[in-house]
This record gives sequence, structure tokens and C-alpha cells, in this order.
Amino acid sequence: MAFEIPKTTYNGKIKEIKLGKGDKAVTIGGESSYPFYLFESEMPHLPRIAMDVYDCPPVEWAEAALEPFAGVTDDPVAWAQKCLKDYGAEMICLQLLSTDPNGLDRGADEAAEVVKKVAEAIDTPLIVWGTANHDKDTEVLRRVAEVCQDKNLILGPVEEGDHKKIGAAAIGYHHTVIASTPIDINLAKQLNILLGNLGVPDELLVMDPTVSGIGYGIEYAYSVMERMRMAALTQQDEKLQFPIICNIAKETWKTKETKISESENPKMGDAKKRGILLEAMSAMTMLLAGGDVLIMRHPEAIKLVREMIAELTKA
Amino acid sequence: MILIGENINIMSLTIGPAFKERNPGPIQELAKAEVESGVDYLDLNIGPARKAGGELMEWVVNTVQEAESKPLSLDTTNLVAMEAGLKVARSKPVINSVSLQPDRMEQGLRLAKQYNADLISLLWGAEGMPRDANERAMHAVNFVYQANEMGIPNENIWIDPIASPVSVEINQVKALIEFMAMLADIAPGCKSVVGLSNISNGTPTHLRPWLNRTYLIMMLKHGLHSAIVDAFDTDLIALVRGKKPEIVSLIHRIMDGEKPDLASLSEEEVKYAKTVRVLTGESLYSHSWLTI
Repeated sequence: MAFEIPKTTYNGKIKEIKLGKGDKAVTIGGESSYPFYLFESEMPHLPRIAMDVYDCPPVEWAEAALEPFAGVTDDPVAWAQKCLKDYGAEMICLQLLSTDPNGLDRGADEAAEVVKKVAEAIDTPLIVWGTANHDKDTEVLRRVAEVCQDKNLILGPVEEGDHKKIGAAAIGYHHTVIASTPIDINLAKQLNILLGNLGVPDELLVMDPTVSGIGYGIEYAYSVMERMRMAALTQQDEKLQFPIICNIAKETWKTKETKISESENPKMGDAKKRGILLEAMSAMTMLLAGGDVLIMRHPEAIKLVREMIAELTKA
Repeated sequence: MILIGENINIMSLTIGPAFKERNPGPIQELAKAEVESGVDYLDLNIGPARKAGGELMEWVVNTVQEAESKPLSLDTTNLVAMEAGLKVARSKPVINSVSLQPDRMEQGLRLAKQYNADLISLLWGAEGMPRDANERAMHAVNFVYQANEMGIPNENIWIDPIASPVSVEINQVKALIEFMAMLADIAPGCKSVVGLSNISNGTPTHLRPWLNRTYLIMMLKHGLHSAIVDAFDTDLIALVRGKKPEIVSLIHRIMDGEKPDLASLSEEEVKYAKTVRVLTGESLYSHSWLTI
């Protein structure tokens, strides 16, 4: 008898979610197989990469991460445009670091104006990421939702503690919600249920399982994402059949391993290469666990991941 | 089956201070209420009781025995306190518990032998919580072997395979059921016991009884001998005492693979059916499991 390769039986499918609007809108999700298991079923939309843009000049960034954006890091509009024009970004993620109550603590109105300017300057989908402070994010993201009401933004992180108010604003002004939970599959399911009960339609929901970089617990994120996909695709768990977004760049570039220079520790080797590889490998790991959107930073790391996606999906 | 009331516990807001002030009133009232509710044993949890644990346990045992004659489960990790309780207990008490940590096991077994007490064998090994059914089996076999070596018969041993919360790790929830099905073969004559409320730790308080009751009935299918329970969950006691045979049968049939049409069930039955699906891992747990 000839050997037959065993195949997983899938009975579920990830929902297809459209992000952004117009010609540059992208559709994510739709998988009916484990990530890149194209020999078992389909992955109609390949994973997408959003490029990180900060709303205030970065401090203490590794030199390698700053270099590609020299001259634009004090202007989020120019930064976003550079990502599109020079690096072919398919999406932008604007990180509202300036609103952090423990940092610059910029007000909601001012932050929302910056978001609006960026949204008007680009035609790709725009993810807007707060600081995970419930009170501040509620204030800021609600204002952003209102000021950018025709922009179809993707707003996050929306957590159990602030889901009602931010969720309501997203429904009212038609933005997508990023449901964010702390590396726990049961809580992820629960938040999706709560957002559904609130009235957030399925087509406006994506999930953030909370990720971390290589060496900092990436295996926990991997395992939770893997289990999400098992429940969604093989157990028909409708409440987990949503695309997954991974805010991975800042998790890798904040580590000391990406910041130590070669002169400080020659054994660590070239700092630029090291940072890029840590980002690319962390991102790739997230894709293998089921990520649909990666938020990335270094153009070289993005290039490596794009090549890998092409390689894994070529006919 | 044997029910052990868990309510006399140092963590309680009325019992904790009563222990501390040596005030017998609230403790005796609670003991009476638990017995009235229908439990067979009273668990006396005095915590680690590092300071003067012996004196505390002796006082608590005597206080409860003045009011009630049900046998006691002496619940402390302090072996000095354990011995003080064993000395004054009138009916054959249960030592709750002896783990497999090498430094504690021998002393615990010695006490059980010396006072001819029953003892709960907590399957907690040198490396902590067992990871699956097989590790539980290995611990159970080791424990029973060492207890027998010391002359403790199987019928005095109550094996506790450690229930853990459904909101933490479903595989552990399944492993416990799997282990229950193996126990009669690997440790013939031994009894079994679970600290039931652990299954619902982390779940919103008003929903916890659904998980507790359903899990209990699931384990009963494999011959569970006893459980440490909330004495005031009257539905749980009714289920165990044969007052709701249709619910027990429904739970057991779903475990056997039957897929009942939810529309044909009563509201109460639907909740049990959904809870079985969560506890068997067929449906992933979330706090809203009863409403979706």
C-alpha cells in the first residue's frame, strides 16, 4: 500500500476582514488551513505587513532602527509617506506614544489631529495604536474615532477594561477594533464575545493576542496563537475565527540584544544585522503561529519576511 | 458518595477572626449548618498555622466536636498541628493532606499509621503539579507502595489527583477525568477525593457552581468516592443524593458522545450540556460559556 500523508480535517474558516478603504484597502484572513499548510487547504490572502510610525521622535532607539528613517522621525506624516514611497509599505501603524500619561502625556485633541493628518496623507490602511492605559486610550481613541470618522481606521489596543467606550466609538464611526488580551486564549474568546454583545460587527474585529520577541517569551504567544487557530479551524469556535495582528517590532527593538553595540560586546557581532535578524525571525515566528498582520519596523527585516512569504507560498 | 464540607476555612471573613479570637460561636454555627445541609465530613482548614498551630488545631477540633459528631478532615500543612488534631479527634479523621514531597511524605505517613487515621494522598510530587494522567498514575503507585510498606492499608488512602482551573489549562481538566478512569486498576481498594472548587477558580463567583457540579458528576461516572465541596450548594447535594437523576444521566450520555438537541432541553439542562462541552475540551472555555 502506498504511503499516504495524513491530513488535518478543517471545519472552520477565519473571517475575511477588509481594512482601510479605496484602491489600497487590503483584505486579511480567510484561511481554512493552518499557516502555510497550502497542501491541506487555502490561505486566500497572504499575511500583510504594516510599518511602524511614531507620533513623537523616538528616544533610545537602536541606531540600526533609526537609520532608514533619518530626517523624518520628527514628522509622522513625512515618516509615513517615506514608508510608502521608499519601502513600499502596504499599511501604516501609527503608535501614539506621545499620549502616554507616564511620558509626554499629550492630550486627545492634539493626538487626534496628528492621526488625521497622517490618515489624509496616505491612501493605505492606517492602524492607530494607543498606550494600553485604559483611561487615556478611551479618551484618545474615542477622539480619534470621531475626528477620522470616514477613514476606516484600525484602532487598538481595545482591552476588557476599555472595550465598551472605545468599541461604541468604533461602531459609531465605523472603524475596525483590535481586541487585545494578555496571552490567554480564554480571555481572548471572552473579549470577542463581549465586543460582539456590545454590537461590534464581525467584519470590524481583529485580535491581538499580545506578542513578544525572541528571547522574551515568544513561545507563549506562539502557543496561544496556535491554540486559537486549532479552536477556530478544527473545533468550529466561531468566537476565535478572526484575523490576528502582531505588534512585534517594538517588542524586538526594545530588547538589550538589539541595542548593544558591537564595540560594547564584540561577541554579539554586528548590531545592525543582529537587530534586523531578531525582528525578522520574531516576525516570521508569528506568521507560522497564525499572524495575519505584522507591525514591523526595519525595511531589511520586512524584505526578509516578504521573501519568506513568497517562498512558502509559491506554486 | 462522601461529601466533605469546605466552609470552615481560615480564609473566611467570619471564621478567620473566630479562629484568631478563639470565639467558638461562628465556628459551631457553621459546622451545624454544614451538617444540616447534608455533608458527611467537616474540613477544618487552619492554613499553614506557623505560630502555635498545634494549640489552634486542638481548639478548633474540640470546638467543632462540642457541636457536631461528624468525622473531621484536618486540613493543614503544619504537621505539628496535624498531630495535635489527631490526638483529640473522636471519630476516625482524615489527614488532609500528605504530598509526595520526600521531606513531608514520611512524617505524614507516620502520623497516619500511629493514629490509624485515613489520609488524603495529594499527588503533588517533588517537581510540583503532575503534568498529565500518567504522572498522576506514577505518583499514586509510588505513594500507595510506600504507605503499604509502612503498614497503611489501601482503604485508608484517599487519592487526590489535584483539580485545577478550567480557565488555566484544559488538558489538566481532561487528564483528571482520564486518571479517574484508571484509578481502580492501578490502586485497587484506594478511595478517591478531589478539592472540587478548584475547577472554577478564576470564574465569576455566581457561575462557579455550574462548573463544580458538572465536573463532580463527570468524575462520578468513573467512581469518584468523595469530594471537598461548598456545603451550601444545595443543587450539588441534590445531584449527588440522587434527586436529579435526569441531569446525571444527561451529563453521562454527553460524555459518551451523545449530542443532544439543545432546543429539546430545559434551561437547566442546556446549562449542564454546555458545561460538559467546556469541561471535555470540545468547546473552549470563556466566562460567557453559558450564554453562547
